Amino acid sequence: MGKPAAFRPGDGFAAQSADRFAEPKFVPRHKAKMRHLLHLLILTLAAAAMPIPAQAALGASVVTTGEVRAELVVQAPEGVTPGKPLWMGLVIDHQPEWHTYWKNPGDSGLPTTLAWQLPAGVTAGEIAWPTPKKLPVGPLMNYGYDGKLLLPVPLNVSPSFAGQALDVRLSAQWLVCKDVCIPQQGEFALTIPAQASTAPHAALFAAAQAAAPQPAPGAQARAELVDGAKTLRVTVAGLPPSLHGRELAFFAETAGVVEHAARVNARWEGGVWQAQVPISSQRFESPSQMQAVLVAPGAKAGVEVGFAIAGTWPALVAPTAAASTESALAAAPAQPSTPPLGFGLALAFALIGGALLNLMPCVFPILSLKLLGFAGHAHSRRALLAGGLAYSAGVVLSFVGLAALLLLLRAGGEQIGWGFQLQSPLFIAALAVLFTLIALNLAGLYEFGTLLPSGLASMRLRHPLADSALTGVLAVAVASPCTAPFMGAALGLAFTLPPGQALSLFAALGMGMALPYLAASAWPAVARAMPKPGAWMATFKTAMAFPMLATVVWLTWVLGQQTGIDGVTALLSVLVALAFALWAWGRIDSGGLARVAWGTTGVLLLGAVLAWALPSWHEAKAAAPASNPDARWQPWSRERVAALNAEGRIVFVDFTAAWCVTCLLNKRTTLGDAAVLADLDAKRVALLRADWTRRDAAISEELARLGRNGVPVYAIYKPGRPLPTLLPELLSPQLLRDALAAP
Amino acid sequence: MIRLKFLGPALLGLSFATGPALAAGAAVGQAAPAFSAVDAGGKAVSLADFKGKTVVLEWVNPECPYVRKHYDSSNMQATQRAAIAKDVIWLSVNSTHASHVDFKTPAQMLAWTQQQGAAPSTTLMDSEGRIGRAYGARTTPHMYVVDAKGTLVYAGGIDDKPSANPADVKSAKNFVDAALADVLAGSPVAQAVTRAYGCSVKY
Repeated sequence: MGKPAAFRPGDGFAAQSADRFAEPKFVPRHKAKMRHLLHLLILTLAAAAMPIPAQAALGASVVTTGEVRAELVVQAPEGVTPGKPLWMGLVIDHQPEWHTYWKNPGDSGLPTTLAWQLPAGVTAGEIAWPTPKKLPVGPLMNYGYDGKLLLPVPLNVSPSFAGQALDVRLSAQWLVCKDVCIPQQGEFALTIPAQASTAPHAALFAAAQAAAPQPAPGAQARAELVDGAKTLRVTVAGLPPSLHGRELAFFAETAGVVEHAARVNARWEGGVWQAQVPISSQRFESPSQMQAVLVAPGAKAGVEVGFAIAGTWPALVAPTAAASTESALAAAPAQPSTPPLGFGLALAFALIGGALLNLMPCVFPILSLKLLGFAGHAHSRRALLAGGLAYSAGVVLSFVGLAALLLLLRAGGEQIGWGFQLQSPLFIAALAVLFTLIALNLAGLYEFGTLLPSGLASMRLRHPLADSALTGVLAVAVASPCTAPFMGAALGLAFTLPPGQALSLFAALGMGMALPYLAASAWPAVARAMPKPGAWMATFKTAMAFPMLATVVWLTWVLGQQTGIDGVTALLSVLVALAFALWAWGRIDSGGLARVAWGTTGVLLLGAVLAWALPSWHEAKAAAPASNPDARWQPWSRERVAALNAEGRIVFVDFTAAWCVTCLLNKRTTLGDAAVLADLDAKRVALLRADWTRRDAAISEELARLGRNGVPVYAIYKPGRPLPTLLPELLSPQLLRDALAAP
Repeated sequence: MIRLKFLGPALLGLSFATGPALAAGAAVGQAAPAFSAVDAGGKAVSLADFKGKTVVLEWVNPECPYVRKHYDSSNMQATQRAAIAKDVIWLSVNSTHASHVDFKTPAQMLAWTQQQGAAPSTTLMDSEGRIGRAYGARTTPHMYVVDAKGTLVYAGGIDDKPSANPADVKSAKNFVDAALADVLAGSPVAQAVTRAYGCSVKY
């Protein structure tokens, strides 16, 4: 067609119709002359182009404008009969480069609307929208159609319908755009004989049906808000294998949520599609459920998926406060019972929390290493102090390093929390190997001097400071999942702060942990209380191998929770191969062929076992964690809590993980106490357990909502309260009873 | 107070790439993007000039049927006058690119404004689309309200009836009137983000 500037009506209404029902709803004040000319032109064109209707008796059903030819069509292969398929549809045939819009039109545009007038006993359903196209306009993105489009609508005929013919009237409105936009409308009428088969457009209806987004049976989709609700992370498993590995376009069916024009970063992992969909900075909807269509390149029809959205949408109301940081914080949910923490107070809490970490059960094996350190250096106060400082540096640097890593990962949208290292089976296995190495060394199976290259070995010998620092690093690696009392709040605060402040908070935490050791090394009185060096040291050293091995048992159990018996078998095999390799390497003091043979065998065996074992330590299988199937405890979900509260029941939630020793301690003591359980039963308290042994976005979200970032967390949800009461991380029966009795 | 909000400014660069220019559009509750531009009368205007006053930004394209819906029905002019009467600054912004058929010269914009009896404080010429992209303006009309402290407090449509029919104006809820009433009363804007409808901005 001609140049749009010349052809464009230049006013608000351009629809013209070959049908008597069509009449302009509003007429602009100017350019009326041009319009008349245009109408004449269109009428002429329409008359020339109008095909002879298949059934002339059906009535005027075509509206033609300069941009589209629209026609009301019917698909009634079995007449108008109750229970038989009956479809109506609007065909919109666009002039080249013109387009109309999908149900979510994207950044601009409006969806086509159809208003039906039907006799009694007949009702119209929703438009069965075909799969749309992406229509970029400069920096904007629209979703819609060009070319020839059919919008089918199912009609439902009730048994009460008894006419000889069905009179259908349709008032349709559409917005048609090229580089300019023109809202148009048309009135259509069609009469369908009730007894005869009417299907002149069967091919069109079939094509529209084929282009409709298909449901994917077996597909499981979920989504969570990440990155401070700036990104929607959509995960879809069970998509048809024909889609695997292909680049899928993402069409949100819900308007007003995502940034339509932004790139969606997606990747396939196995058969699972995961996409990072940027949220619009001017989002105006906060849905808990969404539908989307995924379309492979070149495919006529996309796949429709629906998903619930986990996470809390920030409030849409703009606060009156000017500063953006204030407003971001104001939009956050209020912290239950804990008053807001100032930064200084948070630092103090971090320091105390860090010191208390030394008393946590999971730090005990490391304390033994520290004792060895004291015994080894007690002859020189200066060496002792230097060792203490090096240890402190190791601890602090590890905390800062871990925090920096965590911040980086979180920035990357990872849905993880404190203790995340222990959610990775590979990390658990690596720790078990490390502790086995230490235990075998303590037990005397090998010496570092014979194992390590001479340069590194002598560095260790000449630099006890490096050794001390390394001990500090080790202490942190093991202690990190044990969130001592106070630490939860400090951690939560740490992540609301800019990275600099967050890192200093973690440094304070590390300092607190190192403090008792540092004090002992600085004040001779404390150091003197330590045992004097002597022959007992060798015995002591060997004895210390056993707590190390006990730690390996714990780690193996955790790995078993994550990967099952195969993963455990793999780990044990690796440990055996490792022990053999160490022994083979370490026992040979002669050179020559024997050494090469033994050593090579050991290394090859270890390599082979590792190659076999590694795949079984990959991210947790789908199998349930199966932590002590205890009938009293039900698995946690936010919906479950809400449902139980709605029944008027108090809900106690145990946020726990297999790798969290503090959690296990509480589970065995307070939560295993028969009197406590009887009390809980008497009050009809519902017990839910949220198992965070493996990554779980829903649990991470809830912890975030509670201002916590690690486990254990014990929360009591009472009916009618938006936020629960949080209990300290070391429970006692009295504490639990008091909290339940509190109003 | 304690909330998991992980993005420090320094780490923003590491988060996922945020697509083309509009993706970084202004967000309600944050500082409104600063800008300076030349108005239809050739005068330099910047947002900073209006510090201490409430400012309305209206994206306009005289050729757009949806813009005409609100001008032909006098809805936009009435909204402008009511705002100006409350000492609010009203900036109409035309972000139509010079190569587009809808483009208007400054003189044409002045003539159109006068012909419509429109009452903006001034009309900004933004044919490069700089202000439009900074605010993430998608449609004409697309409305924004910046409060006296420079915070963006409203982004969205002129009203809640997304149609081209001027008759709908009477029964529609005017979001800009409502937002201004909230801002001037010192309370948070009840509906701070809404659907903007209309023609696409002709970047």
